[in-house]
Amino acid sequence: MSQGYPIKIYSEPDLSQSSLVLGWSEDAGNLGRKVTDYLNRKLKGQKFAEIELEDFFPLGGVTIEGNLAQFPESKFYACQELELVVFQSNPPGTEWYKFLNSILDVAEHHCQVKELYIIGAMVSFSAHTSPRQLFTVVNSAEIKEALNQYDLVGDMNYQTPAGERPTLNSFLLWIAKRRNIPGVSLWVPIPFYLSATEDPQAQKKVLSFLSERLRLEIDFSDIDQEIREQNEQLAQARSLYPEIDDYINRLESNLMLSEKENGELIKKIEEFLRESA
Amino acid sequence: MGISLCKEPNLENPILVASWPGIGNIGIIAVDTLRGMLGAEEFGEIEPWDFFYPRRVLIKNGILEYLEFPSSKFYFKRAAGKDIIFFIAEEQPTEGSRIYAEGKKAYHMANLVINVAEKFKCRKIYTSGAAVSLIHHTMKPRVWAVPNSERLIQEIRRYENAVLMSDIEGRGKQGNITGLNGLLLGVAKKRGFEAICLMGEIPVYLQGLPLSYPKASKSVLEVLTRSLKIEVNLDKLDELDQRVQRRIEEFYQQIPLAIREQLDRLRHVVYDKPVGPGPITEEEKKKIVDDVEKFFKKRGEGE
Repeated sequence: MSQGYPIKIYSEPDLSQSSLVLGWSEDAGNLGRKVTDYLNRKLKGQKFAEIELEDFFPLGGVTIEGNLAQFPESKFYACQELELVVFQSNPPGTEWYKFLNSILDVAEHHCQVKELYIIGAMVSFSAHTSPRQLFTVVNSAEIKEALNQYDLVGDMNYQTPAGERPTLNSFLLWIAKRRNIPGVSLWVPIPFYLSATEDPQAQKKVLSFLSERLRLEIDFSDIDQEIREQNEQLAQARSLYPEIDDYINRLESNLMLSEKENGELIKKIEEFLRESA
Repeated sequence: MGISLCKEPNLENPILVASWPGIGNIGIIAVDTLRGMLGAEEFGEIEPWDFFYPRRVLIKNGILEYLEFPSSKFYFKRAAGKDIIFFIAEEQPTEGSRIYAEGKKAYHMANLVINVAEKFKCRKIYTSGAAVSLIHHTMKPRVWAVPNSERLIQEIRRYENAVLMSDIEGRGKQGNITGLNGLLLGVAKKRGFEAICLMGEIPVYLQGLPLSYPKASKSVLEVLTRSLKIEVNLDKLDELDQRVQRRIEEFYQQIPLAIREQLDRLRHVVYDKPVGPGPITEEEKKKIVDDVEKFFKKRGEGE
């Protein structure tokens, strides 16, 4: 490990050829957090390390979400039998290069990580009834070849538009490439009106791939139930509110909504799901 | 976090000229114009990833091909019998929401630049930036020159169109230089290098506009090239200045008449003696600055 990196190791996991799955809090549909929580819960991930916060987060108090005070976290979990490491973190606010290298230091020197999987969500202007796709960006031709057998969209062409910056996931993928760690950035489009809540379909899309690729043999009956429940709630919202149905019908017909209509749909769906909960 | 040199040129006590983007991009336009005209050759860079967040990713057919960072590069050239190193950076390293360099990273970058100066036994360092002044955009900007050693004051006095802080009205020899320009001057002093910061004047009412101010870059370049005894053709800067001046005039005509009349009085400011409608008093200067600030505040709120 590079000297001076702010990492706390609580116990050394017994891993010989592991994979690292990384999810950020605060992305669309809370996808990174949900997927990593799910993996830790189902596979009994044990916390073994964390990155100290002080160099990377403003720490000017706490944020409050859902009545609870929130504080940044950057924690590593190990599922030893499955050779799986899970890293769950808030995205750092500064010192990105140092932070991302700290992750890979733990991965390489304490976990013998051989592959990296980064979870990312992107907001999509499509309906929730459209099947979720899983897009990938990789950092080497070899890993691209190895992923050919899965149901993935791996031929993306992209260049950062003027006025925008690359994602933290791209930054990490690039650092992993420099350190010769094969890496995959996974991207699931999430319907814009679910981006502030949850999208269990998107979660399952990522989890199914990870389960197959990393031989995790996860039973998805619980997440299937969540998908059914959310679909029922959204169907109910459509039957109760004709304007919601109209907006979603138009999205299903590949028609764009106006900015005002987008805003209304987000507001109504969020309110409905909150009240239903 | 360090310096990467692709070659080690054999240089004889070179001069180092450094610049970054800043107000009106005055310094970087001056220095980069000189670098381009002399055809200086790149020989190294400061590794960017610890200082900057990347600014562009290129993904081709699903493979991350390239991540681009703001560059901070070194160039060299022998001209008029002397070796010159150029250091040109595309961004200043900032922390938090600050605009200009400050803090640990900026200090570290300034030290890396001085490491190169030390390695090649530089005898003098020039930095360059902007001096926000109560001048009119039709006037030729002066160059404020701030040395980091007493010995350089006499040298600066010989520069045409350059002024020391003690020569600037109402300054009382005092002021400050923000960002890397100031920091490099300080770090150079700390590590025993003579350095001068040359700042081209920009009218106070233009400092917040997203426009370059090549008129001031030209003033800086005139001082710098005379100091280095190098002759360069500045026609390109004149052309650029003419284009920018047209845009400035368009903006100027949008300023409310009452404020514009105040600003028009700046056309008659001269440094030796007042002409035209009479000298501007300190009170009037304050009123102009206040009016301009109010105008921009109102304009910003309206947008």
